[in-house]
Amino acid sequence: MYITRSTLLLLLFGYLLFLLSVDWVSQPEGAWYRPFIIGFLVIAVAAFCHREQNADDL
Amino acid sequence: MTFDLSTLFILGIVYLMMLFGIALATERGWIPQRVTRHPIVYVLALGVFASVWSYYAATGNAFRDGFGYLAPFIGISLAFLFSPVMLRPLLDITKSYQLSSLADLLAFRYRSPLAGTLTTIVMLIGVTPLLSLQIQAVANSVAILAPEASQTTLAIVFCVLITLFAIFFGTGRGAGREKHEGLVMAIAFESVVKLLAMLTIGWFAVYEGFGGFRELDAWLQTQPELLASIKSPDAPGSFHVTAILFFTAAVATPHMFYMIFNENNDPKALTLASWALPLYFLLLSLPVFPVLWAGLKVGSSTPLEYYPVTLGIDHGSEIITLIGFLGGLSAASGLIIVITLALSNMCLNHLILPIYQPTARNDIYRWLLWKRRTLIAALIWIGFLFYYIPDDKLSVRAIGNVSYIASLQFLPSIIALLYWPRGNKNGFVAGLLLGVAIWFLFLMLPVATGTNLLAFSGINTREIIALSLVCNILIFIAVSLWTRTSAEERASADICALDTIRRRNRTGLVAKSPDDFIAKLTKPLGERTATREVLQAMRDLKIDKQEKRPHAMRLLRGRLEANLSGLLGPSIAHDLIDRFLPYTIESEHGSTDVDVIESRIEAYRSNLSGMAEDLDNLRRYHRQVLLELPLGVCSLGEQNQIVMWNQTMEKLTGTPAQEVLGSQLNEIGEPWSSLIHDFTIGDAAHAHKRVVQVKNHRRFISLHKAIIEKSAAHKIKQDGVVILLEDLTETELLEEELTHSERLASIGRLAAGVAHEIGNPITGIACLAQNIRDETDDDELRSMARQIIEQTDRTSRIVQSLVNFAHSGSNKLDHNSEVVTVEECIREAIALISLDKKRKEINYVVNCKPGLQILGDSQRLLQVMVNLLNNAHDASPANSKITLASKLVSGSVQISVTDEGTGIPESIRDRIFDPFFTTKEPGEGTGLGLSLVYSIVENLDGHIDIISASSRKENPGTRVILTFPCYDGAAAATGMPAEAH
Repeated sequence: MYITRSTLLLLLFGYLLFLLSVDWVSQPEGAWYRPFIIGFLVIAVAAFCHREQNADDL
Repeated sequence: MTFDLSTLFILGIVYLMMLFGIALATERGWIPQRVTRHPIVYVLALGVFASVWSYYAATGNAFRDGFGYLAPFIGISLAFLFSPVMLRPLLDITKSYQLSSLADLLAFRYRSPLAGTLTTIVMLIGVTPLLSLQIQAVANSVAILAPEASQTTLAIVFCVLITLFAIFFGTGRGAGREKHEGLVMAIAFESVVKLLAMLTIGWFAVYEGFGGFRELDAWLQTQPELLASIKSPDAPGSFHVTAILFFTAAVATPHMFYMIFNENNDPKALTLASWALPLYFLLLSLPVFPVLWAGLKVGSSTPLEYYPVTLGIDHGSEIITLIGFLGGLSAASGLIIVITLALSNMCLNHLILPIYQPTARNDIYRWLLWKRRTLIAALIWIGFLFYYIPDDKLSVRAIGNVSYIASLQFLPSIIALLYWPRGNKNGFVAGLLLGVAIWFLFLMLPVATGTNLLAFSGINTREIIALSLVCNILIFIAVSLWTRTSAEERASADICALDTIRRRNRTGLVAKSPDDFIAKLTKPLGERTATREVLQAMRDLKIDKQEKRPHAMRLLRGRLEANLSGLLGPSIAHDLIDRFLPYTIESEHGSTDVDVIESRIEAYRSNLSGMAEDLDNLRRYHRQVLLELPLGVCSLGEQNQIVMWNQTMEKLTGTPAQEVLGSQLNEIGEPWSSLIHDFTIGDAAHAHKRVVQVKNHRRFISLHKAIIEKSAAHKIKQDGVVILLEDLTETELLEEELTHSERLASIGRLAAGVAHEIGNPITGIACLAQNIRDETDDDELRSMARQIIEQTDRTSRIVQSLVNFAHSGSNKLDHNSEVVTVEECIREAIALISLDKKRKEINYVVNCKPGLQILGDSQRLLQVMVNLLNNAHDASPANSKITLASKLVSGSVQISVTDEGTGIPESIRDRIFDPFFTTKEPGEGTGLGLSLVYSIVENLDGHIDIISASSRKENPGTRVILTFPCYDGAAAATGMPAEAH
């Protein structure tokens, strides 16, 4: 499988972001719906990434 | 608050009837296709994943695990968010090869019926409890709402209705391959009902249970332990294990596989699902905490799992209670329908068909339809018995856990399917058996029997799950590396693996035409089925019945296998095709269809980046160079199959590349087939000016060839021949013309010399003869002198002709350049010819466009016209007609002289311009007339053509056409080139 450098960078960045978000969700004084905010953000990013799916039909 | 059973019964019946109505309306086309085929319908249908597990069990899980209850939603959402990694490639494979279940997929990849059978059995064991769980959840919710009612009666009615629905709308007309739009629409409707029910109950929980969001927050502040428990990390790793479990469930559960891959109409719908389905699950999971807390606040006595139903009872709201019940009903019914459909296909393909197959005399479609229907009914009622027989009803959570863990055992084989072509059947079977054995002994058996046979202290469920998965992976890898993989399995692995390009055998087939295919398949399938399947495959590939190219026949074979795989499963289909449509010779694995590789890379192109993109650009550049080379390029692969045919070849042969690619050399038609074939088998690397007849024209082709040596690369073993074809026809014609001109020039020089050498003695002879004539009185001598003078005159005329001929080609600049009026010249020539009164009577017809002028020498043009008229006159019978015409054609002046004479035979047409060539009697002509005409016309920048004047057999006549640049006075005055017009 061919993995580009940008993909690896994205994975690293994603992992760091994941750790940060877990910290933010677990803060004792934080609201109970924080995981859902993150969920909505992730879905929004995914929708943006998938908006222009290439036309390759393999 | 309690309800009558009749109320719940009517509600349930009305709801299920609505499902029937929606499915029926869709199947009948009452709902427009733009609605039923909208990607959002597909996304909602995928919501079938949210069974009672998500609807009921989520509240219990939220209480115990806090945010851990989100793990299943996060697991499956990840599978969709990263759909290009797993789901999209699997969708492409399942669509191409008509694989309808995970068992089909694994049997296809690992080329083993055993793989399919094992997968089916594990799925059956793992999923049947899930079916009974759904029935139990519905029955329990009824028991809560109507404690007096008989749960069993309602469960039976529920099962009957679900069975009927699945049979009517899930089995179609029996081919097993068609999309079930009615079913998908109904399941999508159920997902909407589930979501709306959950959101409504959530809203009710917040506003009726607490009085609003602010009050909810305030209440939470008074419950610090509760608040802390939802955020406290659960047992290390348990969240991750659950997430992986449900990530796998996206593919490894029969209902999800069925919905994602079987009912997908358009790959773009999966792209929408990549984010829309996670959004659906997010919305569905959002109200879980408020519902749980509202139930806790009111102190509900029912189990936590049923809070969505009991919240309404606790707050005295019948509507909310019934909405909660409906939501649960929709979650349960959707899952049962889809699971039984998927399992029935798997059981038929992998448990029944390997043992018993219908004979060719049966109507196979009907036979399959009824078997499928029977299986659906059997599975639902096995689920019912699983619910009904045990005395102590097992807890929702335990059964759910155990069921899903079985599916986790397929994760290694699915990942290997896409990313590790080395994985083989032995590794898969060994890994799966070990993983399933651990699962069964440590999890299934304890839950089913209530006794832990192997009580390992300190090992919890999560660790057993991880252990089973790790053991499965390790054994899979070890056995795969240890054991041999068959060539057939390697080919399948290459098809499925993402980083390899599809390979296809290049060998010929025993069946040479679609009719052969039908004849061969009639034996196992019967004539009707065989014809229908072959025609269907031909329609899919858009090939017609006359098609016989090996390339197309191989594609047809592949398509037939895929289509039959959708009908009978991949193992049976593969066996059947291999047995009845075999290859003539088994070719070496790894041989490739270059055009197939190229089209695949082309399709994948926009996914390439970095160095891969650069390499692709380089490939395209080289390919373009070959395609646009001004030489014909034809590359032959194994068994003389054509793998490249560039644009020049298309122009040269008049055959488009699409028609010949993949064909064998002997199928491209004559004369090219023989020309290339003879050259290919010969030893010479070059062949110069081979003559071929193309549409009655001679073409001169030079050929060059290069042998492609076998590549040193591991996977490419392509060898073949590259042949270059060079069209030299134009050059050859130019050469012929040049040779002709050279000959004329040399004859001219010779004639000048001869004329000079002969002229002087002849003049002397003539003078002496005149002297004798004048000075003698002897009549006889005088008569002889006169004859000598006549003969010398004749010789002088011949010599003069020679001199004229020699001068005509000597130098263009010697000619006068004056404006000549064509019509005047023609009339003067006629006047000159008419002076000879001894000639036969001929009618001259002049048909000239007035005012046409050319630039040249009037005397020479006159000589041309006189010569042509002389020839026409000699060839014409008495009283016939000679037509002289001039007209303007595309800026040129065209003069034609047409007679009604004997015409010029085809055999001598090439030689008539040769000097001294004549058909007249000796003494009648010198053979220099037309040569002279040719030379003069060329020197005047003109062109001469001689054609037959008519198609008459007798006296067809001859037409001489002279073409000169037209003289334009206006253009000449402005200084433009004289001939420009």
